[in-house]
Amino acid sequence: MFGYVRPSKERLSQEEQDRFTSAYCGLCHTLQRRYGLAARMILNYDLTFLAILLDESDTCTYGCRRCIVHPLRKRPCGDASVALDLAADHSVILSWWQMQDGIADHGFWGGLKYRLASGLLRNAYEKARKAQPAFDENTRVLLEELAALERENCPSIDRVADTFARLLAGAAEAARDPIRKRVLQQMLYHLGRWIYLTDAADDLGKDLQTGNYNPLPLRFSVENEKLTEEGRQDLAGTMDRSVEMMAAAFELADFGVWTEIIRSVVYEGLYMVGNAVLNGTFHQRPAREKK
Amino acid sequence: MRDPYQVLGVSNTATDEEIKKAYRNLARKYHPDNYHDNPLADLAQERMKEINEAYESIQNQRKGRTGSANGYGNTGAYNPYGGYTGYTGDARYQRIRAAITQGELNLAEELLNAITDHGGEWNFLKGAVCYRRGWLDEAKRYYETAVQMEPNNMEYRRALQMVDGSAGTYRPDGYGNIHTTGCGSNCSEMCLAWLCCSMFGGGGWIWCC
Repeated sequence: MFGYVRPSKERLSQEEQDRFTSAYCGLCHTLQRRYGLAARMILNYDLTFLAILLDESDTCTYGCRRCIVHPLRKRPCGDASVALDLAADHSVILSWWQMQDGIADHGFWGGLKYRLASGLLRNAYEKARKAQPAFDENTRVLLEELAALERENCPSIDRVADTFARLLAGAAEAARDPIRKRVLQQMLYHLGRWIYLTDAADDLGKDLQTGNYNPLPLRFSVENEKLTEEGRQDLAGTMDRSVEMMAAAFELADFGVWTEIIRSVVYEGLYMVGNAVLNGTFHQRPAREKK
Repeated sequence: MRDPYQVLGVSNTATDEEIKKAYRNLARKYHPDNYHDNPLADLAQERMKEINEAYESIQNQRKGRTGSANGYGNTGAYNPYGGYTGYTGDARYQRIRAAITQGELNLAEELLNAITDHGGEWNFLKGAVCYRRGWLDEAKRYYETAVQMEPNNMEYRRALQMVDGSAGTYRPDGYGNIHTTGCGSNCSEMCLAWLCCSMFGGGGWIWCC
């Protein structure tokens, strides 16, 4: 996963910002508790959002803790919960298989960092696989399917994105309520589709230089290693449709204390990130905020 | 039945005006326009029914009268939430439409692939299968072809509007009409600063592929 999914801060009260931090830090602490220190390296915003979506409890309790990364100031940190355990299991499985994909895609030197990370995560993965065998199998099969499509230079953006989308939608199986499960399947499908397309746009320049597979130039017009204005509009349009599908699904289930955070993601945050990625400004991070 | 005030998200001391506003906002949210042919359209329709009944029940309580609901999304011959029930003279397409409505997308696709003459309806239904699957780019291309072949068909035009962005969708109060292409002048820098990425002083430890 890549770290593209973010709430838009302007829309959240301090309490909600703290709650979002509590999910992020809570997932980090859960990863360490269940899987050891090394598992913390996989933490990112996308996985945090997954943890939020999978949380079916009505309340969210958190205390304030220090940690290695934030030794000086205590931060809101979610208490141990079933939802965080579940999200940690899913996170480890997703990250493990992506590392295996990274090893397969790169040569000896290029794959070194993936092999190193994968070595550190091996024990954690074995444990997570036992906890979530169905999700593990689903993820493995779909990433293999994705790799095959990439090898054969698949020209359909929908078809390649579909494998990653179905992979994320697999996490919805954890939901108990059948209506909630349908809503989550739809949200996670389009989240996966959106992440895949966003990542393809983000990597476009690099992929064109290295000759790695990227579906965008096969579908949209490209000039000077960038999408043309027309291509950019077309890609943005289809990304918008996925975000709209997520928002429409979101309105059909009750997300309790997480409602405002998810709302700010599906009505604003994703559009902003998509816009920044397509403009090439995503990696120019704003100056560190001082509180 | 749930408490009608709870359904509308207002207290039972709310004024008529507040109730009307809450009802209108919810009706806008679950309006058929936002869920036309959506795989979750049945849930939205259910929600709309609940909202209409709650609004009607409050009005009746307050005015001491009885009457029938007259809101959006009532069941009738035409279902505004879609459902591929459009008239067709061709029995093959009738069967495909039924399959799509029931969510049997693989069957619908098989039946479509067995047909060799690709007219407007074929392209429309091919697009519909894609749309239900979430293959929104291909859905758009099939719908475009269908509309080109039969420009006067309202069903095809309606479907195309859902995937080309011209339909316009619900946004909650306070949220602007932002898109991936932007939200006005000076957008990207301002937008980026708004995101929570600065919350933790830079991203996570991300392993990108």
